[in-house]
Amino acid sequence: MRGISKHFGGLQALKDVDLTLHAGELLAIVGDNGAGKSTLIKVLTGVYPPDGGSISLDGQPVRVPSRRASIDLGIDAVYQNLALVDYLTAPENVYLGNEIKRSVLGITVLDNRGMRKNAAEVLNERLGVALGNIDQMTFNLSGGQRQAVAIARALIQQKVRILILDEPTAALGPEEARRTLEVVQRLKGKDMGIIMISHQLEHVFELADRIMVMRRGRLAGVRTVAQTTRQEILGLIVGSISDYEADGGRSGASAPVAS
Amino acid sequence: MSVPMVAAGRERKQPVFERYLNILGPLAMILALGVIMAIFEPRFFRITNIRIILQDAAIYMVLGMAMTLVITGAGIDLSIGSISALSAIVMAIFIKDLNVAVYVAMLLALIVGIGCGLVNGLIITLLRVPDLIATLSTDLVFRGLALVLAAGAVLQRFPEPIPAIGRGRILNDTIPIPIIIGVAVLLVGVFIYRYTPLGRYAIAIGGNRESAMLAGINVRRNKVYHYMLMGAAAALAGIMLTGRLNAVQATVAEGFALHTIAAVVVGGTVLFGGRGTMMGTLVGVILLSMVTNALVILRMAFFWQLVASGVIILASVAFYSYLERRGKGGSE
Ligand SMILES: Nc1ncnc2c1ncn2[C@@H]1O[C@H](COP(=O)(O)OP(=O)(O)OP(=O)(O)O)[C@@H](O)[C@H]1O
Ligand SMILES: [Mg+2]
Repeated sequence: MRGISKHFGGLQALKDVDLTLHAGELLAIVGDNGAGKSTLIKVLTGVYPPDGGSISLDGQPVRVPSRRASIDLGIDAVYQNLALVDYLTAPENVYLGNEIKRSVLGITVLDNRGMRKNAAEVLNERLGVALGNIDQMTFNLSGGQRQAVAIARALIQQKVRILILDEPTAALGPEEARRTLEVVQRLKGKDMGIIMISHQLEHVFELADRIMVMRRGRLAGVRTVAQTTRQEILGLIVGSISDYEADGGRSGASAPVAS
Repeated sequence: MSVPMVAAGRERKQPVFERYLNILGPLAMILALGVIMAIFEPRFFRITNIRIILQDAAIYMVLGMAMTLVITGAGIDLSIGSISALSAIVMAIFIKDLNVAVYVAMLLALIVGIGCGLVNGLIITLLRVPDLIATLSTDLVFRGLALVLAAGAVLQRFPEPIPAIGRGRILNDTIPIPIIIGVAVLLVGVFIYRYTPLGRYAIAIGGNRESAMLAGINVRRNKVYHYMLMGAAAALAGIMLTGRLNAVQATVAEGFALHTIAAVVVGGTVLFGGRGTMMGTLVGVILLSMVTNALVILRMAFFWQLVASGVIILASVAFYSYLERRGKGGSE
């Protein structure tokens, strides 16, 4: 992403923000409340049209005019508010918008049983979360279970190239947060690129390859985890350090998947 | 899936009884009404009378199916009576004045209905007029068109299969055809609700529009489909009504919208969207038709029908919101 800008009415939520993600890496985005992190990923996933700037994937310029378009490009996201529907079951939420279908007498119908089975598998085995009764409505689930359902939504996608997690551990207790981070750790290292927004620097330093700091709608700086400190990142977040022009991330050795 | 929950607390297994309360509620009222009628007017249970009730209900089954989908998707359609009238008038004019083949005319009626639904859907999604206001306005427009086209005439005596659709019977003259149509349409509704993206997405859109959008669902397109299906159902209802009376005029079907919405709500579909059942609608439709009929048989004045319907709607909705408070822990 290059030079992304976005305003809501008179509020400049994003101003000339660049973002580069390499294949197989985990890029963390940090920044104060209201810095524009969620807005940036909503632009990347086609929820908000940007006022300016460009997006490219594998070096090719792409347009992401809708959420559907981003899914088709292999860009998927677990949003901060989880984006679940309370009165659907966990499997129905997991597959919402990507239902498995089968043909019965030439008519295409939803394969509810198949979705139920796969969703239970992903939730139980890959995420280690048991729901008890898998057919209960999502509003009955705990915060951690809901988070797991939202993450499972991304895991069942066939061809996710870029996975975005907006504060995946914010609603979780320590035990559930730990498990979610383990899942992220396991996903990492396949050729999927991951963007994780988080306020918890210890998680960021544990998992990320690079850290991108946003401040008041702008890019405050990008650092490689191996070459930075918590103090420096905090400085960028609060604005006591600023290097808007310098961008350590752009000189990465591997070709960018998305920029 | 009998693994115990990790973080229990809010989860409770709902007994089957509670899961189907939305159907059991109206069913209980149907039973109660049955008992009352058994005491006061046994003629209520004559086969001819039951047939009349079901024949009346059949039209609302057709309308109720589509309305359940519309309301589930957080919409509402107040224009369906006018759509029924307009499509029936168009069909009648083509048959009577223009001598068009009856099946062609019926197809035209369906096209008019779907077209009206498309207009509603586009006004709501593209012009972003709230569903209620949009269909309140188009109700007037469609009714006006029907009045202009019919020019005050009552068109009557239609060729088969129109009378058959409205009041014919099959199987040795026992089972009315409209009931078969009504039940079949509701079964299609059950199928749509449970086994198609259209139904699933209606629940998602009505339950949480933003989540639906973030899941990549084209909210506007789906809403347009809901209204088009509603338009088709209204046209079919118009044909059924025309067949039942073997006559049509531009002022027919005026109470369709409110009666249908009432039946859907009595059946447990939430008026704000996101939740509903087709089977609930079936029970709601039958209950309301029974009440209307019972009061006619008891020779109650018309306004008592209105009072009774109103009380039933209020009682059901109050009942559901009581269940809702209890289901969510009663903490409001
Ligand atoms: N749909 C919207 N309409 C109007 N303003 C918005 C909208 N979405 C975000 N904003 C504003 O844009 C700014 C950036 O918000 P954003 O949600 O991107 O911040 P964030 O970095 O994700 O913060 P947090 O850490 O609290 O999640 C905020 O001032 C917010 O109020
Ligand atoms: Mg945010």
